[in-house]
Amino acid sequence: MSKELLLMLHPTFGVLALISAVWVFVETLNAREVNTGRIRNAGALTAVLMWLTYVVGGYWYVVYYAADKAIINAGPWSISHSFFMETKEHVFLMLLLLATFLAIAVRGEVVTSKATRGVVLWVSGLVVLTALAMEGAGAFISMGVKVALLATQT
Amino acid sequence: MTMNQTEDSSTESAGTTITAFGVSYAITSFLSALLVVWKESSQAVHDTLAAITGHHWVTHGALDVIVFVGLGLLLSRTRMAAMSGRWLITTVVGATVVSGLIIAGYFI
Repeated sequence: MSKELLLMLHPTFGVLALISAVWVFVETLNAREVNTGRIRNAGALTAVLMWLTYVVGGYWYVVYYAADKAIINAGPWSISHSFFMETKEHVFLMLLLLATFLAIAVRGEVVTSKATRGVVLWVSGLVVLTALAMEGAGAFISMGVKVALLATQT
Repeated sequence: MTMNQTEDSSTESAGTTITAFGVSYAITSFLSALLVVWKESSQAVHDTLAAITGHHWVTHGALDVIVFVGLGLLLSRTRMAAMSGRWLITTVVGATVVSGLIIAGYFI
């Protein structure tokens, strides 16, 4: 498997985790006995996909990122590493735990307990917002490499 | 809805396990943000973390998972259900925002 494909798998799993968290949110807004299973499955799926995002992205970061980092830092968008990558790699650790917590929270009484339903709604919403921020930061990092390489062409 | 019903819904707990792991998440997130500042400010801490697994970020992530799971299991044995769902939400959201701001603020 090429490293480029590995890199593409990272945001793919991330977006799927984000969509899965939206699924949890919407199902929980309409929580009934009939969709309890779907809420729990979607919560577990969100966590699994977020862990896959972590493992794939983490492997790529540890093994291959140093070359991209050097390119970014030599280019005009060094902030892509110094702010966006540094922030992303650490905030993501929180997102991983948040998605794991979501899988735990959906095991509760989502239908009968207003408190549990509230927790699931807020946590799934936070997963969505934080994942969107991660996707945005990833775009800045990719663009940082691109503009650095383009700068060498002129 | 009566006043009693309103009070009941605002003080209702999400249950021991959910509350325990929610509080564990909040504490772990905050400690993780502080570790970011500590390791980025101290080369010795950075190197120590890197020496454990070969990369500081891998060690950082492993520590986060260990603290989250360990603290969650530990708190599950306490009277965590006494915390209301509203307080749990405030704690989780507050920890996410504050920890995120600490991390982003440090790298600005």
